Amino acid sequence: MNLPVRFSILLFLLPLVSAAGESGAILPEKHFSMFEKYCLDCHDSATEKGEVNLEDLSFTLTDDIATAELWNKVLDAMNSGEMPPHDKTQVPDKEKTAFLRDLSEQMVLARSIFSDTGGEIALRRLNRREYANTLEELLGVRPDTSFLPDDQANAEFDTLGGSLYFSSDQLEQYLATARRTLELALLAKAPKESAITRVEPEEFYYPHFAKVAAARLDRAKRYYEWEAAGGTDEIAKEYGYLDGWQAGRQLSSFQRDYPALDKWLSAPENRKGTALMITIKDSFTQTKLPQIRAWQPGRYIIRVKAGAYLEDPARFRYLEFVRREGQNVTRLGWRKVSAPVGKPETIEFEIDHQPGVDAAYWVQKRTHMERGDKNLESEFLKEGRHTPWGVWIDWAEIEGPLPARKKSPVASLLAEKSGGQSESDHARDLLAKFATHAFRGETPNEEYLGKLMEHFETGREAGKKWKEALIDPLSIVLSSPSFLYLVEATEIGDGETGGLGDGETGGRLSGRELATRLSYFLWSAPPDEELLAFGQSGELSEPEVLRKQTERLLAEERAKRFVRHFTHQWLDMHRLRMFSFDARTFPDFDEGARDCAGEEIYETFATILAEGLPLRNLLKSDFVVINDLLADYYGIEGVKGSHFRKVTLPGDSPRGGLIGTAAIAAMGSDGQRSSPVERGVWVLRHLLNNPPPPAPPNVPQLSRFEDDVLSARELQKAHQEEAQCAQCHQKIDPIGYGLENFSAAGLWRDSETILGRKQKVLATFPVQPSGQFTDGTSFADYFELREVVADRIDDFAMGLTEALITYGLGRPFGFSDQELAFSIVQQAAGSEYAIAEIIYALVQSEAFGTY
Amino acid sequence: MKTSRSQNRSLSTSPHPRVSSSLHPSISRRAVLRSSTATIALPFLESFGFRKFASAADVTTPPKRMVWLGIGFGVTADKWFPNREQTGTEYDFPEVLKPLEKHRGDLTFLQNLTHQHSKDGHSGSTFWLTGANRYAIPGQSFHNSISVDQVAAEQFGTATRFTSIQLCGSNPGADGHGPGLSLAWNRQGKPVSGLNTPVEAFHRLFSDDKTPLAARQAQLNQQRSVLDTVLSDARSVKRKISTSDNEKLDEYFQSVREIEVRLSKEEQWLGVEKKQPDPPVTEPSDSLVGYGELGTMADLMVAAMQVDASRVYTYRMPLDTVIASLGANISAHTMSHYSHGERRDVSEMRDLHYAKFLAAFIDKLKASKEADGSSLLDHVSLTMGTNLFSVHTLRNCPTLIAGGGAGFQHGRHLVMDEEKTPLCNLWLSQLKGCGVEAESFGDSTGVIKELHAA
Repeated sequence: MNLPVRFSILLFLLPLVSAAGESGAILPEKHFSMFEKYCLDCHDSATEKGEVNLEDLSFTLTDDIATAELWNKVLDAMNSGEMPPHDKTQVPDKEKTAFLRDLSEQMVLARSIFSDTGGEIALRRLNRREYANTLEELLGVRPDTSFLPDDQANAEFDTLGGSLYFSSDQLEQYLATARRTLELALLAKAPKESAITRVEPEEFYYPHFAKVAAARLDRAKRYYEWEAAGGTDEIAKEYGYLDGWQAGRQLSSFQRDYPALDKWLSAPENRKGTALMITIKDSFTQTKLPQIRAWQPGRYIIRVKAGAYLEDPARFRYLEFVRREGQNVTRLGWRKVSAPVGKPETIEFEIDHQPGVDAAYWVQKRTHMERGDKNLESEFLKEGRHTPWGVWIDWAEIEGPLPARKKSPVASLLAEKSGGQSESDHARDLLAKFATHAFRGETPNEEYLGKLMEHFETGREAGKKWKEALIDPLSIVLSSPSFLYLVEATEIGDGETGGLGDGETGGRLSGRELATRLSYFLWSAPPDEELLAFGQSGELSEPEVLRKQTERLLAEERAKRFVRHFTHQWLDMHRLRMFSFDARTFPDFDEGARDCAGEEIYETFATILAEGLPLRNLLKSDFVVINDLLADYYGIEGVKGSHFRKVTLPGDSPRGGLIGTAAIAAMGSDGQRSSPVERGVWVLRHLLNNPPPPAPPNVPQLSRFEDDVLSARELQKAHQEEAQCAQCHQKIDPIGYGLENFSAAGLWRDSETILGRKQKVLATFPVQPSGQFTDGTSFADYFELREVVADRIDDFAMGLTEALITYGLGRPFGFSDQELAFSIVQQAAGSEYAIAEIIYALVQSEAFGTY
Repeated sequence: MKTSRSQNRSLSTSPHPRVSSSLHPSISRRAVLRSSTATIALPFLESFGFRKFASAADVTTPPKRMVWLGIGFGVTADKWFPNREQTGTEYDFPEVLKPLEKHRGDLTFLQNLTHQHSKDGHSGSTFWLTGANRYAIPGQSFHNSISVDQVAAEQFGTATRFTSIQLCGSNPGADGHGPGLSLAWNRQGKPVSGLNTPVEAFHRLFSDDKTPLAARQAQLNQQRSVLDTVLSDARSVKRKISTSDNEKLDEYFQSVREIEVRLSKEEQWLGVEKKQPDPPVTEPSDSLVGYGELGTMADLMVAAMQVDASRVYTYRMPLDTVIASLGANISAHTMSHYSHGERRDVSEMRDLHYAKFLAAFIDKLKASKEADGSSLLDHVSLTMGTNLFSVHTLRNCPTLIAGGGAGFQHGRHLVMDEEKTPLCNLWLSQLKGCGVEAESFGDSTGVIKELHAA
């Protein structure tokens, strides 16, 4: 085997690592003297101040939990500066730093050792999104699961069985959700005939704005008449004003709003269409298509005839498609308009309207969060301008519903009545088949089937129609443990008390169970017929078949769920939507840019996976995977169309690689300023597989600097002042400095501008991007930093592998998994860590095929 | 060039810091697992004294009631508490809580209360009423235990139609409350669901089901039969899987048992009409979102107390919609990461309006009289607070208590001598003060004696 050099080093080290694991997490003896000198005066066995006795504390953290907990207290107390007390002798910085560094590192190791499940995988419930996908596959209708707990909040991945809890409320919600979804699936009316409804937006907006403009003009007229008549408070009422102050306000609102309205009304194209205008007071122009009701599900096509004002900045030349359900607005996508207003083009956008949803579809300008667009309009007004129109819409129409693409299993079962079969036989047959299908191939027990039939019969006796009477028993199936849990090791049980003893692991999964584990790993959904058949025949355990099936699963549309949800959780991408970005500070980073920036990460991962490219491309690449909207954001020319595709970069581009994306930069900010700490931690955690210890609790903010105007880099210097901060931050912060050329919204900058209230510029500092890793490797700027990171591809591959093991096996990555991770990485090394090769190695591993 | 030591380390450290941010690992992991699920339904069932519920409203001594109001995303750090130096009755009332000053004699600020196990700022209100250690069970990155309100409900809930009432804002994610369905967690440490809008709360508390009695009885029977059917499948799964998986499956069995208990209680109250106070409460508007929602929920709680619908209330208060309704341009989370300017302004506005809401709530509790002439406030133990002090700091949990329920002496600003006094000591003091039989709660080390002393 031709292993890279670094690998042979790793191989050599492996036995050492295992040895370390067996002996536990041990703090070097050398720290005892510090302990003796600064702690034991109060915390020895004789004094035991605060009931803390450190004299007999073992330096082997993993001796037992009590020991580890006490060490954790020591760590917290010293980190927060609580100990030693201020009136006692302080530990010199150098000693303190060294001690805390060793202790926090050993603590991480201790946690890993203690959290080791020894390979055991806890019985896993379907998480919320798997549940939704599974119901959709069975019933053809996507359920509304907003009432169920969001499982992502409990663990680093929502597939970890140990953390997926179950409560009585949840059981009631499962029953209710299944019932609701079944009603939608079984009692649907015959599909409505497809029709086209066209909307001419000017029919509403022209008279609307004409009326608004007239009212404004009237205000001004009355103002001037009042002024001519003397302009006193006393006579204000005669002119329709409360007093002079109000009259003055109304005049200024006229002066502010009228020119824009007049300009819009005077443009001839707004007689037969609508230019997209933003006003502060009188609504935005949105083309509102008629509401689609809950009973009109299906595919619909929205067509918009539109032209662009080509002289306006690119951001304004897009259409944003949104769905509105009550107060909830969901952005569905964006389309750039390229044709001029004089020669408009027709743009198509397909939507999938789910049954049970009452929603309207609107076409509008690209928007910001919250009041962003109005705030931005105010900024334009200060300069005597207005938000550019960007796009003009001639008309919009919606066509549908178009026929569904495929029949759901439940629909097929309903149709499948053999000749001469009695109703009750058909029902029994249907319930048995549906339950087997829902239980992913496992046959339900006879008693259970009998009880399901009773529910059906009770319904019929109560006068329910045949389909209605099926809803109760079917919803019970969808709330039963065999459906809700991925039940494994079923073939070992002796049928009495469970065949496996306490913590016994290592038996092979049955073929059916392997198929299920594989499909929930890569599809977050149950196996399809082909996969299940290979499972049931036992062929799936053959390496060749398993590899072929894995390839097939990865190539399917459904694998997008794996890409999206794995990547999202692995890279902590929830941070992308944690803060709002002020439209005045970041006018281009609107909702479209932010969503597409997130999409870029998924699409990049998907491209590298699908094309079998070396993993290093995630760290540094000569291409980006973007669409037109993001290309406009990045200032990359020549990208047409809303689909994501590979675009080759010029050699000097900072883009290419995760740390060059807008999403990762934005995640390392608080919506106002970049955070070198967040960015540094993210790189260490996710790229270098060298996570810093968790942030200690209760550390005060750097409030001492609150009133100073400092660069992000200067602000971090406070971390160097206290030894307990320095020990982690000297590893974290410099990496963040190297990324300071990216603004909070991920755009390249050479200087950092600090804004105060009302967008006032308080200071501008040139970015100083140089820094040094703790091992001495230094970098002069971002480009060198990216090289250093990219060269640590082996660490990155190991980190990704550990994350995949955790996600795919559904249990925390434990210390005893090091060998598994190592062997997977080794197998994928030949392909320069192609992601698919890591996945193949994982699914072929002993751990994946056993319970 | 990397040294061999750092090679070694990169292999041996956990890559998953979010999971590993606490200890409580255990050598006998399985023993812990088992003990956590071993507390099955029996004691819970027995605690349901099947007292004659109809007589509950006739008792002459007004019953004790307990209310907890939870704030998400902490408070404005240097503004919310009174000056630490000014303890006792003589203290300057915090400017951002001004609306509450008129009630200063009826309330008490407590400082230095902390949950020792709360270590990350992102769990929100999840452990506020429980004090649990999220990582108590190795290999499991989430664990919780029973909340103080549910301990009270086990005793107080037997007498009323609703064992406890959980009110919530409808968007907990945006409000900084963390995982959970309400502030309440049951005996097994599983989330208890809540009523997420004033309309939902109104219907649960005051609307009568118009279905005929016989039909409702049939519905209950039907629900029991559903449980009976899922149990049949659960039993066959149980027979197939390993012992440790069965510990997980026990959560399912436990859930079924809890629903059975709930159905029994519903059955007891089947023929009893829901009472309306005089004047009756009317259905709130369903467009009521934001600041106005707080006052409506308070009205509903007062009305529910007047008819003794329940004696235990928690309210996981909305925040994001509240500040939006007050004109903020930023989200609640953005606000919580203070910096000078807008974020801080909004944060102080939030403190002020929660205070305004609480002041109005106390007004209503004072105005509503019991049969013996005392007020509702005289018998309620009311708490407003949060697990999170500010930004990511979890020490010195902001805590404001009011009402005569627990027999505390109010009008004071108390700073605990011990800097990390367990917040659970307050919960225990409230339980005992209200007459709940409890020896300890969470990580409590005892009651807070100062609450009674002058």
